[in-house]
Amino acid sequence: MTTVSEDSARRGAVSEPVAPGSGPPVVLAVRDLRVHDRVSDREIVHGISFELTPGKVVGIVGESGSGKTLTCRAALGILPEHFVVSGGSITITGHDVAGLTPAQWTELRGSTISAVFQDPASYLNPSIRVGAQIAEVVRVKQGFSRRVARRRALDLLAAVQLRNPALVYEQYTYELSGGMLQRVLIAAAVAAEPTVLIADEATTSLDVIVQAEILDLLADLRDRAGLALLVVSHDLAVVAQICDEVLVMRRGDVVEHGSTAEVLRRPRHEYTRLLIAEHEQYGLEAYLDATTPQHQEPNHARQESNHAH
Amino acid sequence: MVRRVLARPAGRLGAGILILIALLAILGPVLAPHDPLGSTPDPLVGISGQHWLGTDYLGRDVFSRLLHGSRESVVGSVEVALVALVVGVIPGLLSVYLGRVFEWTALRLADTLIALPFLVFAVAVTALLGNGITQAMLTVGVLVSPLFFRVARAATLTVARSQYVEYGLISGASIGWIIRRHVWAKVLPPIAVALAQTIGVGFIIVSSLTFLGIGVQPPAPTWGGLLASDLNYLNFQPFAPIAPAALIMATVWACNLLADAIRDVSGQAGRALTNTRRLGARRAGGSQPVLAKGRS
Repeated sequence: MTTVSEDSARRGAVSEPVAPGSGPPVVLAVRDLRVHDRVSDREIVHGISFELTPGKVVGIVGESGSGKTLTCRAALGILPEHFVVSGGSITITGHDVAGLTPAQWTELRGSTISAVFQDPASYLNPSIRVGAQIAEVVRVKQGFSRRVARRRALDLLAAVQLRNPALVYEQYTYELSGGMLQRVLIAAAVAAEPTVLIADEATTSLDVIVQAEILDLLADLRDRAGLALLVVSHDLAVVAQICDEVLVMRRGDVVEHGSTAEVLRRPRHEYTRLLIAEHEQYGLEAYLDATTPQHQEPNHARQESNHAH
Repeated sequence: MVRRVLARPAGRLGAGILILIALLAILGPVLAPHDPLGSTPDPLVGISGQHWLGTDYLGRDVFSRLLHGSRESVVGSVEVALVALVVGVIPGLLSVYLGRVFEWTALRLADTLIALPFLVFAVAVTALLGNGITQAMLTVGVLVSPLFFRVARAATLTVARSQYVEYGLISGASIGWIIRRHVWAKVLPPIAVALAQTIGVGFIIVSSLTFLGIGVQPPAPTWGGLLASDLNYLNFQPFAPIAPAALIMATVWACNLLADAIRDVSGQAGRALTNTRRLGARRAGGSQPVLAKGRS
């Protein structure tokens, strides 16, 4: 029953652009967002602004405690109890979220905005089969019958490139690896066909190869469904691989904001330069360049290709 | 879950005794060989072929009175448990979700109810509303409900803050759906344990009240009432209190056995989910699929 009203609401919102002027419709607009901690009575996020349009990927980088996750949670309407949005605005497909009732939030989440996180195992119920949990989202948000929802969940598991959807459907979280769980969580997150997907440190606990695969999967979803992505990571490499635009955050401030190529190649703020320098200094390339003799490289390449299969 | 409880000896024994007691409560009046209220000319005779447990001081057949009395005791204790369940569990669940005012009020109300001594309070209420088993048991049920309130609230709190419940919110599920889907499964096992225990406690309370003559008008037989009248003639019939006392004890013991079995099984389910059920176990078959069925 939600599908019809949701769809028309979304289309209605899309047809009246938020920002005046031409160009693609803005699906998520964060303007000068400020988040306040009521316990310590301090402002934690000091004004962050960005816009997401369908198919666009915006990245937020920064160290732990810089306010990345609070920004995501504010956009999802799930700030921890003692945090409040103290300034600025968040607009999702044209609706200012400040005036949303809990019921309106419930309707918006899942079908318009959704999210995946680090540690997917804890975001899935350990005593319910993972397939059933995906089917559940389809049933709740799109009102399909059990049977249709099951088929849809199997399609989704195939779409996130799990090799044996029928088997995975019947499994519990502890039977799946971290990479598989993250795929399952992504499948659940996109089950109700949201327009915006937030990936908060979604690849952080995964090894480099699985991380690359997950990022490819997200890029694939963006290309096929026109998903707008907000990718949050402390890792510049993740951002470099997938994002069109980057915000660099430090202690609640956005110190740099621009296209990925510009920020990474011509960093203007010293903090961004520091992050890049550390990558150069501590990344694997630095080690390989400095220590590995030329003749060992083929060996390394072979091992990597074994991993990928 | 039911199957796993019955797979344990304690669970089987407890359930078996309770089924026997339930049958007594249903069929007791039919099985009774004599009229429980009709006196015979010989009071206080010992055990005989005609009077299996002898007669009391008015010459009434004790065995028939026990059978007739079982219904009051069983219905009374089940009433206590059900009233406590309904009055306790629903606010316990909602106290986590309905905001601070409701939470505070419910908690303070529960504290207040815990502070009231239920036997004395039940006596007072029956004095006020009339001496009936239903009035007495409703009162006791309400006074026992904080147990269910606390258990339901504690179980709800553990899941309500979990990340998969948060994820349910993020994927746009309503609170009602989350309670039905995620919270209920966690709340049910401890509630089942509390229910079995409360039925046992209910038996003791019903027996105590009827022992004091509260809840039931005197000529009507009850287990507690039988015990009370037997005690007055202890020097003539020292064996007489044994039968009603043994019945009360057996019932309470059975309830506790059942409660233990449920607790063991729900604990086992938690362990099994993290340890024993590995990938290979299910492929190999064996006894593992029972667990999976019990869950669903």
